[in-house]
Amino acid sequence: MPVYVLGISALYHDAAAVILCDGVIIGAAQEERFSRLKHDASLPIRAAAWCLKKAGITAADLTYLVFYEKPLRKFERILATSVATFPKSWGAFPRQMRTWLGDKLWLRGTLCAAFGVRPDRVLFCEHHLSHAASAFYASPHTEAAVLAVDGVGEWATTTLWRGSGTSLTPISEVRFPHSLGMLYSTITAHLGFAVNEGEYKVMGMAAYGQPRFRAELDRLLKLDPSGGYALDLDYFSFHWHPTRSGTPALEALLGPGRFPGAPFTPEGGAAGGAARAESQRWADLAASAQAQIEDAMLHLVRHAKAAVGTDALCLAGGVALNSVANRRIAQEGPFAHLWVQPAAGDAGGAMGAAMWVWHAVLGHPRQPGLARADLGRSIPVDRAREMLTDLGAKFEAVDDPPASAAADLADGKVIGWVEGGDEWGPRALGHRSILADPRSAETKEHVNSRVKYRELFRPFAPSVTAADADSWFDIPAAAQEPACWMLTTAAVRPEKQATIPAVVHVDGSARVQVVRPTASPVFHQLVSEFGRLTGVPIVLNTSFNLKGEPMVSCTVDAMASFVRSGLDVMYVDGLRVERPK
Amino acid sequence: MGHLRRAYLGTMSEVAWRLPGWPQRLLTEFSLAERGSMVDMLAAAQATPRREMRRKYFLHALDEGRHAGIFAERVKALSGGRVARSDAVIEDAGLLQDHGIVGGKTLFERLGELEFLAFVFVAEADAVEQFGVYLDRKLPDPETTAALRDILKDESFHVSYSKLECERYRREGKPVDAALRAVRWRRMKEGWMRFTRDFGEWASGFWLLLLYFGAVGPFRLIARLESGGWRSASGASAVARNGLDEALAAARLES
Amino acid sequence: MSVPAEPFEPSRLEAALLKFGTAGALLAMLARGSRWWMLPLVVLFLFVAIGLLFLQSIQYVAPFIYMVF
Repeated sequence: MPVYVLGISALYHDAAAVILCDGVIIGAAQEERFSRLKHDASLPIRAAAWCLKKAGITAADLTYLVFYEKPLRKFERILATSVATFPKSWGAFPRQMRTWLGDKLWLRGTLCAAFGVRPDRVLFCEHHLSHAASAFYASPHTEAAVLAVDGVGEWATTTLWRGSGTSLTPISEVRFPHSLGMLYSTITAHLGFAVNEGEYKVMGMAAYGQPRFRAELDRLLKLDPSGGYALDLDYFSFHWHPTRSGTPALEALLGPGRFPGAPFTPEGGAAGGAARAESQRWADLAASAQAQIEDAMLHLVRHAKAAVGTDALCLAGGVALNSVANRRIAQEGPFAHLWVQPAAGDAGGAMGAAMWVWHAVLGHPRQPGLARADLGRSIPVDRAREMLTDLGAKFEAVDDPPASAAADLADGKVIGWVEGGDEWGPRALGHRSILADPRSAETKEHVNSRVKYRELFRPFAPSVTAADADSWFDIPAAAQEPACWMLTTAAVRPEKQATIPAVVHVDGSARVQVVRPTASPVFHQLVSEFGRLTGVPIVLNTSFNLKGEPMVSCTVDAMASFVRSGLDVMYVDGLRVERPK
Repeated sequence: MGHLRRAYLGTMSEVAWRLPGWPQRLLTEFSLAERGSMVDMLAAAQATPRREMRRKYFLHALDEGRHAGIFAERVKALSGGRVARSDAVIEDAGLLQDHGIVGGKTLFERLGELEFLAFVFVAEADAVEQFGVYLDRKLPDPETTAALRDILKDESFHVSYSKLECERYRREGKPVDAALRAVRWRRMKEGWMRFTRDFGEWASGFWLLLLYFGAVGPFRLIARLESGGWRSASGASAVARNGLDEALAAARLES
Repeated sequence: MSVPAEPFEPSRLEAALLKFGTAGALLAMLARGSRWWMLPLVVLFLFVAIGLLFLQSIQYVAPFIYMVF
């Protein structure tokens, strides 16, 4: 009988389920793709049901179910922090205790009831160990330093591990409330974006500014000579306030925060002088926060090298999704190889917990590293055909979908592209993507404003064939692997920038995806064909979703986003769908 | 009953729409409710075994999505570009609460086709009545009233098609009246449950706050926040050296 | 197999507490660590939890129970 391990992450944000059969990943899915609730944190019942179906088993066949956190340690941290911040924590305390005492504390029973497993089959893996395992065991490296950096799990906010074969040895940790993730989230909130959602926007905004608030921000975070860091807690309230993450002292230091949705116009436009100056202030603040997190990460990475000494570094946790910081780590850091898995945030914890059970608890040898990200739900073509017919869509089956799509792109069309399984993680890697021709400067504004209805300043990523990547982008040698998952930025070669203006950010960089034929064969064909037609083996690639919604997963979701957006045409696994009149 | 409800809605709306900041708050709630309905209708379009219904649910979902956008635009307009942080949910992905997913099951999966249609009919008819009251009273402002009038047309259509479908089921001999009764009872029950939950949160919060000041306070003398910087890892997660049984025993611990 | 920083070797008291499910595991964790001083507080809150769970199980009539108190 094979050993089936179901990994679960949930109840904070980005719930997910992953199933392993004898250590091999059978399926990995985020609950938001099923429920259509972005960052859905509820128990991933639908994602788990899909995993079980994919594996061809029922819950009774599961050998183990593993949750990605140790709930009692988290409760200890919340209670201890409330006591230590008495009486300021009076607003947060009743809410937290009500939730924990009435619900979250009794997680084992909840998991058993929700997923139909026996209590003795339920295991728990520490939050940061789940992160570390998700990076190390999914990597091709057998010896590596592993650094996990996020907001907070149980107590740890930053952890360093030595990965060797199947073992992960904890070395050191930084504890809550000192947290780089919470620092960046606090600035994200100050800039009027939602925490756990708007961090990418801060990164995009940063390129428009200069880090002139760096001195102020350095008062919030002190890097110590031993390679660690500490926050000045006078500026933060996330550890005691129910909703706010910064204190009035933070506002006094950095100036008033941005209102959510306030126009951001650093490059002029219709905005007057005052609005433009205010936009520039936000951009400068974003640039300062970005520079600070990059420096802090480099500081931690150098400590990791000194403490562990391997050639490879595996990064995990939400902060590892900061692709600009990853580039600097690869360029300026001491490691020869950098690895970040596609779902480096909390969703990835489900995979890490499951892999930890297989390798560390059960003691089985390593598997080959993660090679593909299309680990989620796919659409049977007959089902897609039936759905599209019922929805009244005008569509046709095409013989060579990549060639047809490439021709549409070369013709200036913006297309929705659904092929194979859902991507694992937040990046669209050519399976649930909106694609466009990167050669026109207008494309960026068109896709932002009339296709995705989102902020105009947000950049788009280029997807380039692996064979052509070096001739267009200066990808740091250590970042070759993260580039496959769109988890690093790279400088666009100066002589090429004018050719692909839609995917070059204002600072001349791009969050590039290097498309390997082994990882995404069909998408690789599409980009190659576009290169053959136009001489530019690059397409603009952004996630197939509209603002505030998760990436599309099934045909109905795709069709709903298609008709509400300004897309010209959509492909669903070989079916070419015309835009309804 | 209808008159009573209209009188209640009228009185409440006269108060609610005129309180400072409340129009934005109510419109944010409407926007989120419409987004939640879109999620429910798309799930129905995906799951229905009656293929002729798929397009109807799908178009209904698109209407709900459009309404969510209209309400969000009104929030922004009324806020003068300064959307309160509590309403920021309309700007970004928020935690959408107003949807029918419970225990991993969508509203359609929980109710089945007939009761789902009955639910759509009853909920949309209530919305038509509610929006009608606002329009009669020209609340809260001319622009929002115009938007509500536009939305009301769609909602009236939703009432018509769901009613027609219910009638079709009735002709097929299906227990439509029982489904309508079940839906009304369910809505009342859920309303009461919402009240008991909110009341419970308030009451338990009150008692917990008393405990906080009475019992937690003294421990403040001992408690300290963690200091910054690297420290030895607690290693709680590590696995025991002594074989599989101990490894599993450690992994089974929630602590 | 990972090398542990703290091998899992529960004391007799911890082993006994662990038999009492989640509540026992919580108390065992505190007894073992540096936050033993939180034990009285946690015991108190476990009683609160019993009350909360009871009220949740009778949510239909919970407001009337709250009013009694």
